[in-house]
Order: sequence, then C-alpha cells, then structure tokens
Amino acid sequence: MKRFFKIYKECIHASVTSAAAYRADFILSNIITLLYNILLPLVTILIYGAGRSFPGWGFYEVLLIQSIFTLSNGFTSMTVSGILYMTMGRVKSGDYEIILLKPMDPLLYLVFTSFSLSSLGLIIGGIALFTVAVVHTGIAGFLQVLEFIVLFLSGTAVMSGLWLLMAALSFQWVGNSRLSEIFDSLQEFGKYPLGIFPKIVQGLATFLIPVGMIGFYPASALLGRTEPVILWFIIPAILFLLLGIFLYHYMIRLYKGVGG
Amino acid sequence: MIDFISQKLNFLKAVALATYKEWSAYRTHSLVSVFVGPVYFAVQYFIWTAVYGGSNSLNGMALQDMIRYFGASALIGYLVMDFADWNLSMLVHTGKFLTFSLRPLHHRFFALAQKIGHRILGFFFEFLPCLVIFVFVFQIDMMPVYPFYTLLSVLLAFFMTFYVHYCLGLLSFWFVQSSGIRSVFNLVADIFSGTLIPLVFFPGWMQFVQFFLPFQYMNYVPAMIFNGSYTLGGVTMEIPVILCIQFCAVIVAFLISEILYRCSVRRFTGVGA
Repeated sequence: MKRFFKIYKECIHASVTSAAAYRADFILSNIITLLYNILLPLVTILIYGAGRSFPGWGFYEVLLIQSIFTLSNGFTSMTVSGILYMTMGRVKSGDYEIILLKPMDPLLYLVFTSFSLSSLGLIIGGIALFTVAVVHTGIAGFLQVLEFIVLFLSGTAVMSGLWLLMAALSFQWVGNSRLSEIFDSLQEFGKYPLGIFPKIVQGLATFLIPVGMIGFYPASALLGRTEPVILWFIIPAILFLLLGIFLYHYMIRLYKGVGG
Repeated sequence: MIDFISQKLNFLKAVALATYKEWSAYRTHSLVSVFVGPVYFAVQYFIWTAVYGGSNSLNGMALQDMIRYFGASALIGYLVMDFADWNLSMLVHTGKFLTFSLRPLHHRFFALAQKIGHRILGFFFEFLPCLVIFVFVFQIDMMPVYPFYTLLSVLLAFFMTFYVHYCLGLLSFWFVQSSGIRSVFNLVADIFSGTLIPLVFFPGWMQFVQFFLPFQYMNYVPAMIFNGSYTLGGVTMEIPVILCIQFCAVIVAFLISEILYRCSVRRFTGVGA
C-alpha cells in the first residue's frame, strides 16, 4: 500500500510540474473550465429569473444540487477521467500493451498516471457555487453533514463508475470520440431535482444508473429532506462502481492489439 | 459562365460525395446522436413541463411551443452542425494547408463542399432517426408552421454556421494554439444561439445585443420560424422580415470571412508541410 501511495505521489508531482511548464495553457484551460461552470446553473438562473421554479425547490436549493454535481464532476475529472482518454488513445493506436507490461494492475496504473490538474477550475467553480448556495439555504444539522459526506462519496463513486464504463466500452468501440456524450446525456438527470421526472425515471436514476446520487441525494441530505432509508441507496452506487471496475478488467481481456 | 457554374457544381458534388463516403465509415459516430439527442430532449421536456405547471404562457411561449422549440432546435443542430474551424486549424498546424494554397480553388469552397457531404450523412443518420423518435415516441407535432420559410431559414443558418466557424478556423493563422479561443467561442455560441434556452429568457439588453451578433441566426431564428413567430428584445417581426435580416447577416459573415481569409493566408508559412 505504501508503494502505491509513493507512486501516486510521484504522479501528482509530475502532473503539477507539467502544469507549471505550460502555465499559459494551464491557466487558460482552467479559466475555460471555470466559464463552463456558469453554463450549468444558467438555465436554472433564467427560469427563476422569469419568476418560475421547479415545484418544491427554491433557487439556492437547486443551485446546491448543481454545485455538488460540479464538485463531484471536478474530483472525478481530476482523478479518474484520464483513464478514458488514455485507454481510448492507446487502444486506437494499438499500444495498450505498454500498460499491460507494467508491474501493476493496469487500471490502477492508469488511475495514477492520468491524474490531471486541468479540472482544477471545475473544483474551484463548484466550491464557489456550493458556498453561495449553502450560505442561502443553511445546513440542517451535524448528522445531515455526515450523511451528506457519505452520499457525496457515493455520488463520486457513481461518477467514477460512469468514466470506467466509458473507458471499458472504448475497447470495443475503438476511437469513438463521441462515446462520452452518451454518458454526459445520462448525467443530465442528476443535475435537477429528481421529483420533476416521472417515477420510472426516478427509479432508474436511483437504482440502475444512480446519477441521482451525484447531486440530488447529497443536496437533499444537507437540506434535511431525506429519510434514514436513503442510506440503502448507497448500495446501488457502490455496485455501479464495482460494475465499472469489473467491466474494465473484463474488456482488457478482449483487447486485440490491432496496429500495435 | 454556365461552364464555370457547371464546373463548380461538379467539383462540389465530387467533394461532397467523397466526404459522405469517408464519414460513412464512422456512421456509428453519427448514430450516437440517436441516443443522445432524445435523452437531452427528454430532460428538457420534463424540466419545462414541471416549470410551466398549470400555467399557459411563459415569456410569450406556451408549453407546447417550448417543447416544439427544443425539438426543432435539436433537429436544426444536426443539419447545420459544423467543424470547419477544427479542420482548418488542423490543416494550418500540420502545414497541410500548403496543398490547398497550390490548388486552383478557394479553400472555403472546398470546406463548404465537405460540410454539405458531412451534413447529408447527418441528415440520414441523425436528423431522420431523431425526427421519428420525437414524432412517434414523444408524440410531438414536428410540422413547421411555415415549411418553406423554415427551410429557407435553416439553409441560411447552415451558411451562417459555416462562415462563422470558418472565420474561427482562420484564427489558426494568427495564433499558435487556437483551441482555447475556439472552446470559448463554442461556449458563448451554446449560450447565445438559443440551444440551451430560448433567448427571450435573457435580460432585455442581452436580447437586443443578439441582433448584432451571429449566434441567433445559427439556431434561434430558424427554431422560432419553425414555431411560426419571432420575438426578441421586445421586438416582434414578421417572418419575411427576420428572414431578410438573417440573409443580410449571412452576407456580412461571408464578407468578413473573405477579408479575414485574404489577411490570414499572407501569414501562412507552411511550417511542418
């Protein structure tokens, strides 16, 4: 375990050094990411600005959902998303073997080496939105904060699972740069109060592809809107991550190395 | 003159066909839209159904108009989608643009022919399947109020999107790395073309400014004409009037692209070719 931490530390150091070498690119890409943050709550801002609302949800409560979504997205973009791009690129060029030859688990190796600071803007934007939202909504209590942390980690597990599923599919669907759009579209259901969707969509977004766990449930916990039964919803989230890990390892076995 | 036009049309047909065949190999990429488009549409459908509640109108749009707007906006997006900026940027970076500067044709015309071929593929693999899903699964009436005007507006939006993206691609002659600028532009275009939300939801001054920017002519105008009425910044216009304005905007975009092209090619060094 100590060895893994040492490797990860080195990879983070390499990423920071790389960002420092291309400072202008690093700053610009983070500013763009930060600007993209404005896009997520824009529709919500304009809807509430027009005097309308999502039934039962105030503006800052919806903003809280979207800020938590952004934060979760930021953390996974920094730590896990690189797996998709590295896998996609290496499968396409046929040199994934290089990763298979490394003396450690390929998935773990990719997690370590794909750490990227380019999503820092997403995290900063998420924290800013979160702060603004929480200042206006308040926090229900200490237990709710603990519940929030557990659910937030579960949501991050779901998001990581999504990235891993995409990466796994890229073994089969070689070089399809639009693969991530499929999962991006599914995540849309996690950016708004689940109550506005039909029951069947709510069920799917809670148990099958638990995108509701990314923003909606953690925000509900912080606002004290959840029942104790919510903690059972962590199970599908963890299973979803495990599915991503399993599928990725399974797909490695199907890798043909064409062009390598 | 007839020979000249005939030659141009033959050329356009050849490049469009070649592009169609080339991208047909990646038709599953286009088919991603068959899943993604309806999912985004479904989200918008549920959002706006919840937001409207029982009320009839919001910013002058009824719920049915809003749903039709998002359906039309998505479909128009498939018809006018463009990546001339990325293509040109790649040609400049790799130095491959050199081969075009040696050919007896304007690169912009070549890029336009490529876009036509690419979008014909989009018509079959993105537009038609999504239209069927919208009509038969979501039960949305996707018949334009004025079919001829809508067709004309979509055609103008097609050219507008092309010229704007081409101008953006020309920036590659001036900047070593233009991907950041193109990302910012795409972000702004997403917001102000009306694909995320109809422009009537923006503050009044922001709506007014859109008359002088290219974005609304790329999506908002054809989507509104599809719905049979046009309003922006408190100004309601007859359809033929806004079509004339859209036409003028396309001409301006064409002229800007020509001026920018002439200034840009002088900077081309062909490094890497």
